[in-house]
Parts: sequence; C-alpha cells; structure tokens
Amino acid sequence: MDLPSGSDGAMTRGGGGDRVAALRKTVLATLGAVLLATSGWSFYQSRRLPEPVVLGPGVTRVRTLGEYFAGVRGTVNDCRLYFLEGEEPGGTVLVLGGTHPEEPAGRLAAWLLVENGRMAAGRLIVVLSANRSATTVTRLGGAYPPDFSIPTPWGERTFRMGDRWSNPLDQWPDPEVYIHYPSRQNLAYVDIRNLNRTWPGRPNGTLTERTTYAFMELIRKEGVDLVLDLHEAELQYPVISTIVAHEKGRELAAFVSMLLTDTEFKMGMEYSPKTLHGLSHREIGDHSQAIPLLFEAPEPFLDATRGRTTREALLTGKDEFVKRAGQAGLLFETMDDNGWPIDVRVGRHTSAVLVTLEVWTDFYPDRPLRLEGVPRYADVVALGTGHWLQNPASAPPGRVVVE
Amino acid sequence: MVLFQGVITFLYYLLVACAAGLMLWNLLRSRRWEEEVLYLLVVLPFLLRLFRLK
Amino acid sequence: MFAAAGLVLGVMVAVYAVAKAFRLTTELAMFAAALGGSLAGGFGLSPRHLAEGAMTYLDINLIFLTATFFMNLLKESGGVAFAVRKILERFHGNRFLLLVLLTGLLLLPGALTGAGSVTVLITGGMVAVVLQAMGVSPLRTAATVFLVAGLSAAAPPVSLWAMMTAAGVNMPYVGFFWPLLLPCLLLSLLTVFLLAGKGEGASLEEALGRLPEAPTRMNGWRLLVPFGVFGLLVFIGRRWPHETPVLGLPLMFAAAAGAVVLLSPVRLEVLRIARETVQQLLPLLGTLTCVGVLVQIMTLTGVRGLLAVTVVTLPVALVFASLFLVLPLSEAVLMWGAAPVLGVPLVLLFNTIGLDPIVALAGMSVIWPLGDALPPTAIIGRLTVQVVGYRDGYGRFLKACALPAVIIMAVGSAMVIFASQLSFLTGI
Repeated sequence: MDLPSGSDGAMTRGGGGDRVAALRKTVLATLGAVLLATSGWSFYQSRRLPEPVVLGPGVTRVRTLGEYFAGVRGTVNDCRLYFLEGEEPGGTVLVLGGTHPEEPAGRLAAWLLVENGRMAAGRLIVVLSANRSATTVTRLGGAYPPDFSIPTPWGERTFRMGDRWSNPLDQWPDPEVYIHYPSRQNLAYVDIRNLNRTWPGRPNGTLTERTTYAFMELIRKEGVDLVLDLHEAELQYPVISTIVAHEKGRELAAFVSMLLTDTEFKMGMEYSPKTLHGLSHREIGDHSQAIPLLFEAPEPFLDATRGRTTREALLTGKDEFVKRAGQAGLLFETMDDNGWPIDVRVGRHTSAVLVTLEVWTDFYPDRPLRLEGVPRYADVVALGTGHWLQNPASAPPGRVVVE
Repeated sequence: MVLFQGVITFLYYLLVACAAGLMLWNLLRSRRWEEEVLYLLVVLPFLLRLFRLK
Repeated sequence: MFAAAGLVLGVMVAVYAVAKAFRLTTELAMFAAALGGSLAGGFGLSPRHLAEGAMTYLDINLIFLTATFFMNLLKESGGVAFAVRKILERFHGNRFLLLVLLTGLLLLPGALTGAGSVTVLITGGMVAVVLQAMGVSPLRTAATVFLVAGLSAAAPPVSLWAMMTAAGVNMPYVGFFWPLLLPCLLLSLLTVFLLAGKGEGASLEEALGRLPEAPTRMNGWRLLVPFGVFGLLVFIGRRWPHETPVLGLPLMFAAAAGAVVLLSPVRLEVLRIARETVQQLLPLLGTLTCVGVLVQIMTLTGVRGLLAVTVVTLPVALVFASLFLVLPLSEAVLMWGAAPVLGVPLVLLFNTIGLDPIVALAGMSVIWPLGDALPPTAIIGRLTVQVVGYRDGYGRFLKACALPAVIIMAVGSAMVIFASQLSFLTGI
C-alpha cells in the first residue's frame, strides 16, 4: 500500500516510536470521539426538544398539513394547524408563524393566539411551525443558542431557536442554482430550503416546495381569505417595521399601517415587488383567492454587526454594536439603549394581527373576523410574553399537544 | 420524482461515508500529529452528517 | 461590550501568534485561536459550537473533494498531458494563440473547483513546462502560474470568496458570472502576456520531450466526454429544473469522475487516487473547517460584530483606499476566513452606501487571491514555486508578481468604487 504523499515526513522509527504514535492516535481519536458524541448529543436533543402547546378556549380543532396534501404526510413538515372557529360565520384567516423559525417573535405571537384567542366571528387557522424542519436546526456559523426560555408566572417555557432554512437532514443536496417554480427566476442555491422563497410550491418538488404547495392546498380548500405571515428582520435590512402587501391587499394594508402608527407603534407599508418570486406576499396573492400580508418586526439579534450571541441578547434585543451602526446611519430602524425586547416584538405582531382583522371586518362586513382574548401590544409589553403562555401542567386533559 | 430525489440523497450519504472512510484511513497511516489533529477536525462534520446528527 | 470583545480579539490574536511562533500550521493556529477566544469569552469549550462551526463548509468541502478527484483522475488517465501536448503541437508556431490556450488551461481547474491550488497541481506543472520551453524564465513562469491560479479561483462558476461572503449577508449567489469572469479572464491574459509574452522558444521536439507522455489510446473524445457529462448535467438542471431531481455540484463532479474512469485508456487505481486526493486536499479542507470554527466562535463572542461595526463605520474613502492592502493581508492570515470575517461587513457597507453589492464583491474577490503568496500562510505561492521548480529566493518571486498584481489590485478596487456604474454586468 502506498503511503499518501507527505504523510511519512516525520515518521518515527523503531518500536518505541510506533508505540508513541499509536498512543497519540488513541488519545486524539478519543478526544475526537468525545467531541463527536457530545456535540452530536446536543444536536440530537435540540432537534427533538418538545414544545408544548396548550389548546386555548378558542381552539375547536387541530388538524395537520398532511390532511391537505399527502406529499407532506408523515414528514417533519406535517405541521399542526390550529382551528379557532367562531359561532358567527365570517371570513377565514390563516396566520403563519415559523416561516423563518430563527425569527422567534413570529412563532411566539402565533402561540399567544392559540393559547388565548377566541373567534367571535369567522375562522382563524394558526400555524406555529410553518417550516417545522427549520425549527430543528440553527444557522451554521451563526452561533445561535439551540433554544431559549420565556419566563412565566408559573415557571418557564422553552422553545427551539430554529433557522431560516430547512434542516439539511430533511432536504439534501442543494442545487447548483435554485430555479424557482413556476417563474424560473434564479435564486441562491440555499434558498431552495427557504420556505419564503418556494411559494407557491409544487407537488413533486423538494420537501420545502411540497410544504408551500400543501399550504396552497389548505388555502384553496378552506377558502382562506387572508394570510398573515409573521417575520422579523435585521435592522440593517431596508424592509423592516413594515407590512409587505400584495396589490390585492393594498388598501387593507394601508389602513392597518395608518391605524397602528396612529394608535400603537410606527408601522410602514410597502408593495410586494412583482418581479421578486417565491415570497408569500407575492405568490399566495397570484395563485389563490387569498390576500397575503407579511409583517416584519425589528430583530437586532439577526444583524451581522451584533455583539455576543447569547440567549440574553435574543430576549433583550439590546446590542451596543448594532447601536453604534445606527449612530453611523447604517440602520433602517432606530436602535437605542432600550433595544428591541422580545415582548415588544411579540406585541407588535399580536397587535398587527388584531388590527388587521378589525380593518378587514370594516372592509368586508359580510365576512367578519372578530378575534378576542389576545393581548395587544401594550398588554404584552406591560405584562410580558410569558404572562400569556398557559401552564401545560394545569391544562385540562387532552388540551396539550406538542409541536 | 420524490423517490428519485431520495436515491440522490442516499448517494450523498454514500459520498460522505466514502470521504470519511478515506480520511480515517489516511489518519491511521499518518505519522505527523498536526496532520492527525487536522484529519480529526475535518472528518467531524462528515461523521455528524453521516450519523444524521447535524 | 466593546472592551470585552476587544479583549477576546486580543486573546485570539495572541494565541494565533504564539501558535505560529511554535510553527503550527495556519489551520491549527486558527483552531487554537478559536479555542482561546471561546475560553476568553467565557463560553468554555462548547462542543456544540465547535462542531457547528466545523459543519459550516461541509457542502463546499464536498465540492472540493469531488472536483479535485475528477481532475486528478483526468490527470492520471493522461488526459491533461494529452491536452497540453496537442495544444503545443498544434500552436507552437503561434505564440499568441498558444498563450491564450495555456491561459484557458490554467483557468479551468480553479474555476470549476474554486481552489487555486487545484490549478497549480493539475495543470500548473505542465503549463510551466510549456512556458519554459517557450523561453520564459522559471521565475516569470512561477509568477504567471501563481497569479493566474489565483484568478482561476476567483473565476466562476465556483468562487469561494464570493460564495462565502454572499452567504454571510443572505445575498443570492446569482449575477456573479460576468462580473467575475470578465476581470478574471482579461487579467489572466494580461498577466500571461506581461510575464510570458516574450522569449526565445525551444524546438517543439525539445518541449514535447520534457512533457509527460500521454497514453497512445488517449484521444479528444476520451478527454472531452467527461467534461461533456458535467456540462450536460449542469445544463439539464438549468433547463429542466422542475422535471429532474436536484443533483448538486458534488454528484455532478462525481459523475464526471465516473466517466473518466470508464473512458480512461489506462487502468486507474481509483482507491489510491481517491486517498491521495484526500491527502492533497487536507490543508484546504482543514482551512475551511477551521475557518468555520473560528467564525462561529468570533460570532459567539462578539468579535465578529466588533470587526464588522469597526469596518462599516470607517470613512468610505479610507475603505476604498485601503482595499488593495487589507484584502490580501486578511487572506494571508485567515485565507478564506477573510471572506466571512471581513467581506461580510464590507459588502453591508457598500450596499448601505448604494453600491451594487454583486459587482463590489466580485471586485474584492479578484484582489483576495493575491494574499495567497504572502506570509504567514503563503500556501499557494509556496506550492507554485515548488511545482514549477523555481529554486531562487521567495522575495524575487514576489517581486516578479508585483506589476500584474498592482494592475489586479487597481482593477478590483475600481470595480468596487464604480460598482454601480458596472451593475449592468450582473444581468439582474
């Protein structure tokens, strides 16, 4: 057998040298095995971290995405759909949390809807993990914590941190270039695993494409009128603290933006670019009867200029480096010593949902959407997100499921 | 198509297994500690993927 | 926060310097710096973060492995020797055309694999023989091979600096083809003609005698079909992306490698070549793995943020004026790690001030490879000198690279400064 070139340069001679080499190899291999086992165990555990959901008083049914399209049935992305149905008939709204699980305020806001909301009129369908695969992994090189905990009056609730892209363990390999269906627009290869670049999906595509296709089937079969997609954005990204609206939802979004800015917090509004494909605010509007709106809350934890990447930074949203970038005029949102705490970001989303449904009901009184029991921005900021998370231990039997 | 994609994914695991095997083989033949450490570091991601841990 | 991150950065630099002083390889010095940073940052030695960082470039490492395996099989089958001999036989009377074709031969391996070292190892040695037979001194030959190998690494389709930086700012790796190809191609030709344009050529027989023989049964088809297989798979994936499964670059290269094995006129020792490929690539795979760990720890401890915010808040004129120096120096220390560490904040800055980030990043990608000849790493510079057989001082080799290098720096910097005016190149 040939020795690989260069490997014999410092070969030790004699039995003693061989023994030393063998001992060294054994020690190194043991260290390697320990690193493999401990890191692997950490990845394995965080991938399977159970996230309990207490079914609030308004949840009337829990279905799964696979019931609408067999192509995702039994897969990691066969996520749960929480139906909140009012006694009065009305429209149907779908709220997507977890399109990008590394933007946790969107998921948490959706959690508050499920655990607290009641529909007085119309139907609300809530998704907590739109890309469940992406909740099981964190961004390579991002140094994000695997999970984070929200303090509550009865203890704390722990959630998976998640990534922007589906887990490569569920979808691999990536293509040389990602060509979006059906527009054929060229996108970054990694975005074939980005749920907000694969709308409207295709039935025989990759897992992420099949997931968006399944959501389109849900939207079509349930006659969804309105889709609200909850996100967060880095402060150095121009699309922030805003609603991105398909042209079908132009007036609705404009009113929501004005109302929120007048009464609760600054919220911008912009149109979905017609030439940018794969995004929910473009494709759902183009390929179904529904009006899609996407909401962006500010999240300094995503900025490339951020400082220490810790659970604390995720929850407080405070960061001196991002603040310094803001002082240099490089940000598209203000950043001061108060930062952007998780409660502020979650509250922005709950209020955005509530105000959107109120404006919708004004616009379309024949298809009302009246949601009760969900805290508004001021309530979440005052009492904290955890105040509105229910205790699984004291929930009635059969009213707890796991995401 | 979904089945075909599954086959492709399997081929990738095979590719990763082959690469990891070659690295471990070279590691065993190596006589330089720096090279051995480097092989252990380089093979780590291949093994994590092969065992479906990351 | 500034002081704490600055302290961690100081520890990382110190550990790196000490590791280099103890003659550790750059890869291990970076790994040691990462461990030092993690400890200094108060995170201990987190296996999760070390492993997650190491995973960062797994897919790129797979592309490296399969592409280099393909090129090594081609070399062992006699395909590369066949191509070089045929070009020499056909065009030895026409220096201009011969130099153009040799430039193409030098550009191809690096462009496909993203690694200048692959160019040096696969075609660099043989092109060097031809250049010296054309009367080019070993010194100028080494400079030519090094500079074009660097440009080949920056050339599309695989440009790691651009890919890694783009990934760091969530920017699609799309629109880079022309902004990378044009400068790389033109600067390669300029370099070749500047350094090898003149010389008294030896006879054809003498030149051929110094090249390895190609197997008698090797022919154009056996050489071209594997490239055809690769090109066909890329074409099918682009033409019918929704009717075919996702193959990915590693499997495409593996299929091309399979075609080489099937068509080779000589029996190839596939296992030996595979093992040697892994051995040959160890420094590069190690670099990417350790860079991944380093970046993860820098991000974890806030050092990356500190560097980023420092860079983005510098006066823009200063950034423009220092690119030609900062980029090669960062490459010399961090190799590809320079892209995620320095490239990401620079692209964010350029984007914020309204420059076209794709063209600006392409301009930076052209400059970065120059650092591969500089200490402390000088990995590709040293490899080139060794492969070409240049035996005089390394300083003279650097001097020989100087004139084309200055032009490359000027073109790269101009691409950054005039990125908006050049945005038409992206086709977006």
